[in-house]
Amino acid sequence: MIYLDSAATTFQKPSAVEAAMVEALRTMSSPGRGGYPAALAAADAAFDCRNALAELYGLKNPEQVVFTANATHALNIAIKTLVSPGGRVAISGYEHNAVTRPLAALEADVRIAEAPLFQPEAVLESFASLVDGGLEAVICTHVSNVFGFIQPVEAIAALCRTWGVPLIIDDSQAAGVLPLDMAELGAAFIAMPGHKGLYGPQGTGVLLCGSGIQPRTLLEGGTGSLSIQQEMPDFLPDRLEAGTHNMPGIAGLLAGVRYVRRQGMEGICRRERQLTQMAAEELRVLPGVTVYAQPDLHAQTGVLSFTAEGREVEALGQALGERGIAVRAGLHCAPLAHRSAGTLGSGTVRISFSDFNTPEEVSRMVSVVREILS
Amino acid sequence: MDHYLIIARSVTYAQRMQRALARAGVRCQIFRAPRDLTEMGCAYAVRVAVSGLTDALTALHRESLDPVQIFLYQRGLYQEVGR
Repeated sequence: MIYLDSAATTFQKPSAVEAAMVEALRTMSSPGRGGYPAALAAADAAFDCRNALAELYGLKNPEQVVFTANATHALNIAIKTLVSPGGRVAISGYEHNAVTRPLAALEADVRIAEAPLFQPEAVLESFASLVDGGLEAVICTHVSNVFGFIQPVEAIAALCRTWGVPLIIDDSQAAGVLPLDMAELGAAFIAMPGHKGLYGPQGTGVLLCGSGIQPRTLLEGGTGSLSIQQEMPDFLPDRLEAGTHNMPGIAGLLAGVRYVRRQGMEGICRRERQLTQMAAEELRVLPGVTVYAQPDLHAQTGVLSFTAEGREVEALGQALGERGIAVRAGLHCAPLAHRSAGTLGSGTVRISFSDFNTPEEVSRMVSVVREILS
Repeated sequence: MDHYLIIARSVTYAQRMQRALARAGVRCQIFRAPRDLTEMGCAYAVRVAVSGLTDALTALHRESLDPVQIFLYQRGLYQEVGR
């Protein structure tokens, strides 16, 4: 199989990830629940993982790094901390359902910063017209999960700081690919999965919490601290980590983060963009194919959508799958992004890369698409 | 052996203390705090030698790490000496 669905989850992981998970199963129990070696080994792995993530995002305090089950879980905590029922928020036009559904559940007054695809300046202008002191939060994905569109989160963060509006960044597609400095941004929260560009296993996610914010709990339960008190601790990470930790997952995530740091985000991003560029150029010349990319990949990472005239996208995705090419077709849980790009009616076929893909795999994928369309 | 126990609010906080002390060259170990020492239930502590307390507190203060309580263990008994 040629795996080109890393925007959903990276399938090929560094070998150290699997080894770390097996080691965790053999040697680690639960962090914060005992003073014996297996509990302390778990605590050490969890702490090292928090530290590695804190360093990746420019945070000094590893307590601000909270483990979650996935990015959706992390986003729910962030959104439900900051947005009250009916509260007014501004979001980009490229948000995932992990953002829009919690807002719908809160019946929030959602203002959308409409902007055409691959025009970060237009995104910023649109946010500038919406942001004022009356907003409870601004929520923006760093990179669109459908189109790989890099949104100008640094400039949006500056806008939020000017108005004193808390910012939530969904870093799901950018974590491990594009650097962010949370301290510089002054963001309230940054949410991400552990299992995409950070190369951890599924079932891992991370919420980075800005200082001075008391997050709302989604779960209450045991934390191994302040056990007599019946309210959740008011300090992180315990406040948001009720119940037993996913230690094999956290140990695997630590190995994944270490891989990213060794490879360097700049190098990973450059290689993925080269593959995207190659795929875009070779798909674009096929008859009837529309590729959603600008020629110079302006503001785009390793995610690429395309459609083929007269071909239903799910059928095309299925045909690719049957020929050993794993891609994702449809709306990608992001109808808002498709609406913004004008592809809501058709959906798209999405290919997305990791650091483990090769130019040969891109050539093979293009050749299979050509064969299906001929 | 006589020692001090510096109680932390959580295992993560105790680990931060442990790393800070290691950076300062103060030997310490993480322990579960004895139940009868903690007012609010389960907690972790870092144990330092009697001779190491001053350096330990200086290092923790330098990194803005606040102990919940400090106990001296002597002649088989714990005595609170600070918080």
